[in-house]
Amino acid sequence: MTEESRKQVTFKVQRYDPEKDIKPYFQEFKVPSSRGTTILDGLLHIKETTDSSLTFRASCRMAICGSCGMLINDYPHLACHSQIEEFKTDTITLKPMPNLPIIKDLVCDMTPFFAKHRTVKPYIIRSDAEEMANPSTTYAQKPAELSDYLQFTYCIKCGICVSSCPTSASDSHFLGPQAMAQCYRYCADSRDDGQEERLPTVSGDHGAWNCHLAGACSEACPKGLDPALAIQLLKRRLTARALGIGREQEPSSLAPPPTGIKDKVPFPEFTVKG
Amino acid sequence: MKQIQPRQNYLGASGWVWAGKFKIERYLYTLHRITGLGLLLFVIIHLVMTTVFRIQGQDVWESIMVLLHNPWFKVGEYLVVVAFSYHALNGLRLMLQELGFIMGKPTPPIYPWKDALRKKRPVIVVMLVVIAILCALFLVDFFIGGW
Amino acid sequence: MRATYLWILQLITGALIAILLGIHLALMHLDDTLGAGGEATGWTAMINRAGDGLFAALYIALLAVGLYHGINGLRGIVLETSPSPRTERIINWTSLVLGIIVFAGAAYVPVALLVS
Repeated sequence: MTEESRKQVTFKVQRYDPEKDIKPYFQEFKVPSSRGTTILDGLLHIKETTDSSLTFRASCRMAICGSCGMLINDYPHLACHSQIEEFKTDTITLKPMPNLPIIKDLVCDMTPFFAKHRTVKPYIIRSDAEEMANPSTTYAQKPAELSDYLQFTYCIKCGICVSSCPTSASDSHFLGPQAMAQCYRYCADSRDDGQEERLPTVSGDHGAWNCHLAGACSEACPKGLDPALAIQLLKRRLTARALGIGREQEPSSLAPPPTGIKDKVPFPEFTVKG
Repeated sequence: MKQIQPRQNYLGASGWVWAGKFKIERYLYTLHRITGLGLLLFVIIHLVMTTVFRIQGQDVWESIMVLLHNPWFKVGEYLVVVAFSYHALNGLRLMLQELGFIMGKPTPPIYPWKDALRKKRPVIVVMLVVIAILCALFLVDFFIGGW
Repeated sequence: MRATYLWILQLITGALIAILLGIHLALMHLDDTLGAGGEATGWTAMINRAGDGLFAALYIALLAVGLYHGINGLRGIVLETSPSPRTERIINWTSLVLGIIVFAGAAYVPVALLVS
């Protein structure tokens, strides 16, 4: 078996301990890297062998939990989803995601991020309170209606889009691409009837009108969600509503009860007897 | 345990200009802002000239015109026209895309995916080519000699 | 809702500026090349334009849409720098007042020259 070539790569990690440091500084570590080693593998290696005080978030190591977002060589990536070899350089610079407050080292405070998400009411809203409290059955939705918003349901709330957005860089009250894409995801969902409740938040100051289609959010999104498309479609909705054009769509009705039950198929004969 | 105050980490207005190796669409946004502010500055100067200096009569006007025949002002005029071409054509593209007309439909993200802006990259290339042609035409018109 | 209307107006004024400014630039350029009244920014050409009601209308229309588009754009940029709510109100009111004053001041000139 041939030995995989292992080489040493330098990780320049931004360190910041709020209890000891006044401002962040860089610290260099040497990390062994071979084919397939991810940035997260490198960070875990540092934590296990060199400096156990290195602080970062990680959980699933498969780009589904959204914990490990960070700035890798000045571009926001998920650490678990980025291989050291793909950067084609021997020095990797790691910084926490910009536009979110830093707690320590590479860990960002996601509280304002989640607070903005909550303001757009990211859940199905119907006028029938009884059905919402005690659901009797599912809502009917055609596959065509699902494909209208399916792409925007894959959000893992990693915060990479907010780190890329130029408006989020300067405007702390801006809702951010994540919150507005999720607002569109619920407004476009045919089962939802809560558009009126969400629109004042998103069409007011620091809402959708401060998005200027830089497209950096969609470019950097690790799940291919395209928040920029969601926000422009949201602007289309807001404009149509303000001008009074476009059809109002009825929300989905409850799925009808099954009309019949197929006959039970007889149990197959055992192949091994006795 | 002592309460830790998270450290602010905003890029600030410098995040409008440079935030990493993003693709061209992000820097088209930056250029749109810069040309917009440049045009606003020109409009203010132009308004002052065509109102304050205009109503003061022929002598004041002619002396200002002598000042403006400096070749550097011709360069400034050319920059204004270039900025207007860029801002107008990019603005037209933004108008159409921000209302969802040249953005395409949501598609499930199957690797390797391209987001809507990248899929419509040809539109941006055509726009930049038209702007380049206009800038070349105006260069000939302003400096090399008119028609 | 107010922000929505302001944005829609920004688009509309943008399109109108592209048209009106195109006409303005074309007319000035044609004056320079075809040379009916001499150089377009010369005094005689300006007197000719001052007496023409259509030019006054063009200038006032261009002034209105241009001022709206520019001042609203600048206001948007400044508001994106995270000001406090009080500063936001000041910025909004200043933009409105500035727009009205500059429009009134600058629209006065072609009208005054027309009637004189």
